[in-house]
Amino acid sequence: MVRYILGRLGRALITMFLVLSIVFLLMRLLPVDGYFEGRSDLMSDTVKNVILKDLGLLDPWYKQLFDFWRKLLLEGDLGKSIVIRKNVPVVRLIWPKAKMSFEFGIIALVIQQVFGLSMGVLMARYKGKFADKMGNLYILLINALPAAVYYLAIQLYLSSVLKLPMLYDPMNAASRILPILCLSLGGIASNAMWMRRYMVDQMNMDYIRLARAKGMTSSQVAFRHVMRNAFIPMAQSLPTAVLFTISGSLYVESLFSIPGLGGLLIQSIQRQDNTMVQAMVLLYSVISISGLLLGDIAMMICDPRIKLTKKGESR
Amino acid sequence: MNEYKYTEPILTVKDLVVKFNLRGQVLTAVRGISMELFKGESLAIVGESGSGKSVFTKTFIGLLDNNGWIANGSIEYGGYDLTDFKTERDWLKVRGKRIAMVFQDPMTSLNPLKTVGKQVQEAFTLHNKVSREEAKRRTVELLGDVGIPEPERRYKQYPHEFSGGMRQRVVIAIAMACVPEILICDEPTTALDVTIQAQILDLIKRLQARYGLTVVYITHDLGVVANVADRIAVMYAGDIVEIGRSEEVFYDPRHPYTWALLSSLPQLGVKGEDLLAIQGTPPNLFQEIKGDAFAPRNPQALKVDFVARPPYFEVTPTHKARTWLLDPRAPHLAPPIHIENLRTLRRGGVDRAK
Repeated sequence: MVRYILGRLGRALITMFLVLSIVFLLMRLLPVDGYFEGRSDLMSDTVKNVILKDLGLLDPWYKQLFDFWRKLLLEGDLGKSIVIRKNVPVVRLIWPKAKMSFEFGIIALVIQQVFGLSMGVLMARYKGKFADKMGNLYILLINALPAAVYYLAIQLYLSSVLKLPMLYDPMNAASRILPILCLSLGGIASNAMWMRRYMVDQMNMDYIRLARAKGMTSSQVAFRHVMRNAFIPMAQSLPTAVLFTISGSLYVESLFSIPGLGGLLIQSIQRQDNTMVQAMVLLYSVISISGLLLGDIAMMICDPRIKLTKKGESR
Repeated sequence: MNEYKYTEPILTVKDLVVKFNLRGQVLTAVRGISMELFKGESLAIVGESGSGKSVFTKTFIGLLDNNGWIANGSIEYGGYDLTDFKTERDWLKVRGKRIAMVFQDPMTSLNPLKTVGKQVQEAFTLHNKVSREEAKRRTVELLGDVGIPEPERRYKQYPHEFSGGMRQRVVIAIAMACVPEILICDEPTTALDVTIQAQILDLIKRLQARYGLTVVYITHDLGVVANVADRIAVMYAGDIVEIGRSEEVFYDPRHPYTWALLSSLPQLGVKGEDLLAIQGTPPNLFQEIKGDAFAPRNPQALKVDFVARPPYFEVTPTHKARTWLLDPRAPHLAPPIHIENLRTLRRGGVDRAK
């Protein structure tokens, strides 16, 4: 198992290296106007060349790439922001925003899991009955309505009904309720939908019939056999979900003016803050790749049938 | 000759009718079965797919699918009428405790994510209030009893580490965990290869002798039946058309469906000739069946077969069949040649045995 994880880790590192190098090189193909802080037409070519030379952008591409990796690996330096906040190290820009997004995201995730999974379990147990129908209605509504519509409705109407602040205020804990609600609704729906589906799949299995024939009550069967088995496919996606909470939600964060990570990547791309883009891409690739790895490990822990090392002596 | 050594009824079914609702249409899967199950015997219920044999036995433990219900009749067992049972609580007095069931496919009958030991122990602790260590000890013992080598080690393994035959042994161990009175084996060997089949049947026979079980086999494999059954009930279209001791049904069958069924055994065919196949298809159970359900497929059916449902006629005290052919007014019809062959075969066998 350790060998497997190490192997996966090695491959993950290679993937990250390739992703980052490719992104870095693609960034070099962009027009250079972004580096002049929007004063491109006021500067002479000499001044521009000095700026570019200072940033090391006139070197051949392989030297630039090498310098980038050297700084990153040896000095842990991801570079300084060029446009968004000039000369501030990108890590210092990203870190507090990521923390903010994570705070919101992780609470929302817990709510999504707790409510989504229990809703799915209830729907499966009362399949075809009233509870199931109401659950399906909720899932349908959440998926059919554009998120923007119910986010706005929550911000405008629910805030006045519940007397809650419309915008995020770091000094007021109650101002977190509505954004967290917005962040949770979609996840509750999809968790409930998948959990119900996996539960129903499991309930039709032969071993459930045998468990009932043993003389177990239907709630014993549901708790001891169905739920755990149904949760396994869900377990795989959990680590990725946890990690991605730090990336924040573009829409919810801008709606409630939360200083999170949500819009930063798009902003950086639009404003050609290349070092920021590189750092963000690195962050996202680390998140997705380690999320997948952790997901596989979680699966392996939950499901005894999965052996990732050499074939055991089974049968 | 005609005395049957098992005479004490343990379960009595009267006029049982089971219906299912399928997309608004009502299907009658069991059409008025009456029979007795005797303590200690092995009864084999044979019949083609869809003849209602599984549904019939599922009513004994209340595991009909949700869209099915008992429309009529009674099942008397242990002082209860099982058809009165409505709630899960009622059923748990019997299900898994006094009547246990072994299912067809051992590959899918066990929870893949729990160790084999846990699954057997679960059944054990459900019906016996003992400490965890005691339960574990008894579980390991039980695994050994059903012929699983190294039960200590196997206890901790998962179902995917077991072969099909071993898994079926585990399923049997689960059924035996509560030492039931009646064991229903729903095609216990269908999914296994031939050598393993014999071992599993042997195991069931051994357990039956040891614990005095009453065993009901559901099967369409007449080879299995010949091996294990004291009595045979032949089912067709939701009804038992003939029931009797094995040798009576095998060597002196009276119902045209039993004739047809036995004649289509490959062992009785002549090499080079086509195997006998029963004409037509089973009746549509969505419609009410008039007369003898088998009549439309029986080339020698009498006129009365299409009009009135035959009652049971007794051939011997232990052997009865639902066919008008046994009515004294009926013309004498000789059974097909294959059945005669079967009898000769047997006589030959007996002679050789002497």
